Amino acid sequence: MSTSIHLSRFRKWLLASPPMEFVIAQLRELLVGAIRQGPVPQHIAFVMDGNRRFARSHGIETVEGHNMGFEALARILEVCYKSGVKVVTIYAFSIENFKRSKFEVDALMEMARVKLSQMAQHGEILDRYGAKVRVLGRLDMLKPDVLAAVNRAVEMTSGNGERILNICFPYTSRDEITGAIRDTVSAYSQPLPADRPSVASQRTPFSETHITQNIRAQAQHTKADDPPSDIETASESSGEDGSLKTHHSNQVYESGSSFSSSSTLHLGGQTDAANGRENSPRKERAVYMSPETITRQTLTEHMFTGDNPPLDLLVRTSGVERLSDFMLWQCHEETEIVFLDVLWPDFDLWHFLPVLLGWQRRISKAKKNPDAEGDFDGESYEPAEDSNGKIKGL
Amino acid sequence: MVSNHDRELIRNDIHSRGAKLSAAERENILRPYLPDPSDLRRRPSQRHKKAHRRTPVRTFVKAQIHRVAYTFVHIFFGIIYRLMQSYHAVVDRICAIIYYHHRTPELIRKDVKGLKRLPEHLSVILSLRKEEDALTVLMDEIAELAAWSASAGIPVLSVYEKTGALKSCIPVLHRVIMNKMCFYYGSPTEQPMLRLFAPHHPVFEQPQQAFSRNRSSDAFLTVLLLSATDGRETFVDLTKTLAEMSQGGKLAPQDITMELVDAEISEITTQPTRPLSPTMGEHNRTSGPLRLVAKPEPDLLLVFGSFLRLDGYPPWHIRLTEMFCTGGRSCGTNTSEEAVEYHGFLRGLWHYAGAQMRFGR
Repeated sequence: MSTSIHLSRFRKWLLASPPMEFVIAQLRELLVGAIRQGPVPQHIAFVMDGNRRFARSHGIETVEGHNMGFEALARILEVCYKSGVKVVTIYAFSIENFKRSKFEVDALMEMARVKLSQMAQHGEILDRYGAKVRVLGRLDMLKPDVLAAVNRAVEMTSGNGERILNICFPYTSRDEITGAIRDTVSAYSQPLPADRPSVASQRTPFSETHITQNIRAQAQHTKADDPPSDIETASESSGEDGSLKTHHSNQVYESGSSFSSSSTLHLGGQTDAANGRENSPRKERAVYMSPETITRQTLTEHMFTGDNPPLDLLVRTSGVERLSDFMLWQCHEETEIVFLDVLWPDFDLWHFLPVLLGWQRRISKAKKNPDAEGDFDGESYEPAEDSNGKIKGL
Repeated sequence: MVSNHDRELIRNDIHSRGAKLSAAERENILRPYLPDPSDLRRRPSQRHKKAHRRTPVRTFVKAQIHRVAYTFVHIFFGIIYRLMQSYHAVVDRICAIIYYHHRTPELIRKDVKGLKRLPEHLSVILSLRKEEDALTVLMDEIAELAAWSASAGIPVLSVYEKTGALKSCIPVLHRVIMNKMCFYYGSPTEQPMLRLFAPHHPVFEQPQQAFSRNRSSDAFLTVLLLSATDGRETFVDLTKTLAEMSQGGKLAPQDITMELVDAEISEITTQPTRPLSPTMGEHNRTSGPLRLVAKPEPDLLLVFGSFLRLDGYPPWHIRLTEMFCTGGRSCGTNTSEEAVEYHGFLRGLWHYAGAQMRFGR
C-alpha cells in the first residue's frame, strides 16, 4: 500500500520535472502534428461526463471536480484545434441539470460567468486565432448576469471564422428539435412580400387556373364524373406528382394520429378545412411558401448547429453509454459514437488518440474501397491525399 | 501541455473567483503556450506569406517529420489493432462455444436468470447485405432474434433496417418467425403470441393463434419494424402538417411544444395504424394482458457491427437508450457487417444489467 503511494508520488515528481515536461510537450506536439497529416474529423462533440464522480473518488468538492473538468476541456480543445478540427461542440449543462442541488447549479453558473467574462477580456487573442464561441440552448433559462456574460462573449467572437466552439449550455436535444420545428413553421407562416408572387410564378411556369380550366373542359368533354376537388388540390403546387404523394402520406399520417386526437388538436378535420379554403382563388390571400418544400435539410438548417459541418465523432466519457438527450438529430448516418471508460477530468490526448487514429484508419480505408464500409461519400480532405499511400501496408 | 507552476497560478486565480490576476497577467501566463499566429492558416495576408518565407527549411522539415510520424503511428496502431482483432476473434469463438442456445428456451432463460434487469424494449440495428439472398438472411436473423428475445422474456423487439425492405413483406416475415419459434418451442400452444407491425402498417397477427383457448403460455412478443423513413422524414412530415395548419391559421407556432411533438412522434412508432379487422380490434381491447401500446423508448440498442453508428435511426426516442456495439469499440472486421450471433445478444444483455462479462472483454 505505502509503496504504491511512494511510487505514484515519485511518478508525479518525475512527470513534473522540467526536462520531463519538455519531452512530453514535444511528444504531444509531434503526435498532434502527425494527426494533422491524415483526414481529420471536421466536427467533434464531447459529453463531459464524470466530473462529479472524479471529485467523489478523489475526495474533493464537486465544484473542484468541475474546475478540473474545465482544465481537461482546455487541454482537449488545444488538441482538437491544433490538429485541424473545425467545430467542437461540448455538452456543458443540460436543462435537466437544473434539478441538481441549488448549490451546485449556482457554482456551475458562476463558473460559466467567470470563464466567459475572462474570455471576453482576451478578445484580441481570440480574434487572432479566429475562434468563435457560440452558446446553444435555452438562453432564456439563464440568470441575467450569466446571460450578459454569454452575450458579450458571443458578440465579441462573432466576427471570427474558421474554428467554432459550440457550448451547449442549458440544452436538450428534444428541446432543440422542437425549437427547429417551431422556427420552421413560423418561417413558413410568414406571408411572402407582395412583390414575390412574380418570383413564385417564375418557378411554376404553368398557370394553375389555366390547368384547372383545361381539366374542367376535358371532364366535360369525356363526361367523366371525377370529383374536381382532388385534381385541384393536386394542381396546387408546382410538382403534381410530389404533391399527390405527399398529400397521400399526410393522410396516412393523420389517420395514424387521430387515435388520440382528443389530447391534441383535431388534425384530420382541420387540415381538410384548410385544404378546402386553399382551393379558393389565392390572389386575394397572403401567399406562403409551400410546406412541401420542407425537407430534412430545412430542419437541419434550423437546428442550433445548422451551419456547422455534419458531426463526425461523438465522444462520451465515464463509461455511460447513453446520449442523454445530446445531439440526437445531429448523429446522422456516419457519426461514430465512442464511449470511453475514463472520467472527464482524466481525459487527455492519450485517451483521445486511439479514437482519432481509429477514425482516420476507417476513413482512409473507406475511401480506398468505398464498398467495404458503408457509403462514406468522403469530403475532400486535401492533406490526406498524398499521405494515404503510406499506410497501405496495414 | 501546461507546466505545473503556471497551472498552480491559474488554479489559485480560479479559487479567488478570478480576482487575483488581471487580464494582462493571465495573457502573460498564456503566451508561451499559444502557437505562433503565422503557423495557422489564415487569410492570405502579406505578413503571413513573409513569415513563411522566413523559415522555409524549418517548416519543410517539420512537415516531413510529421508525415513520417503519421506513417509510423498508423503502422504501430495498425499492428495493435490487428492483434486486438485476432484476440477478440478467438474470444468470440470460445464464447460462441460456451454460450450456445441449442434452440432451447430453457437454456436461454438460464443464461439471463441472474441478471438484475432486463430491457423491456430491445432495439436492434441490422443492415441489408449486398448479396442475392440478403433479404432471406436478414429475415432469418430477425427470426433468431425474436426467438431469443421471447425466450429471455423481452416483450418488445424493434428492428431497424435502413432501407425499409422488410416492411413490404410482413406476412412472409411473420411466417419465418413462426417457423423459427416452432424449432425453439415445439408445439404451437407453447409458443408465445407474436405481433408484428411497422409504422403506418396494420398490425399483423395470426387469427387462429389469437383465438386458440388452450394455450399453455401467455407470453407475447411484439416486433416492430423501423426504417430510415420513420426517423427524420417523420419530423419533416410533421413539420409540413404543422406549417400547413399554421398557414391556415389553425395553430400558432408557439403552440408547438415538446409535449405535442412527443405525443405525435410516439404514436407513430408505438401504435399500429389500425387493427386488421374490427373484430380483431375488439379482441385486443377485451383481452387484458395484451397491451397494444409498446414502450416507445428502447431500453437497449444493440448494434451488430464493428463500430457504433446509428445509421439514421429515429432520433427522438433514443435519448436515454443504452447502446451496445457487439464489435467492441476498437476492434472490428473489414466487412462492416457482423453476423448476428447469440453471444453478441447475450453480451448486450449482460452489459445492460451491469454484470461483469464472465469471459474476456
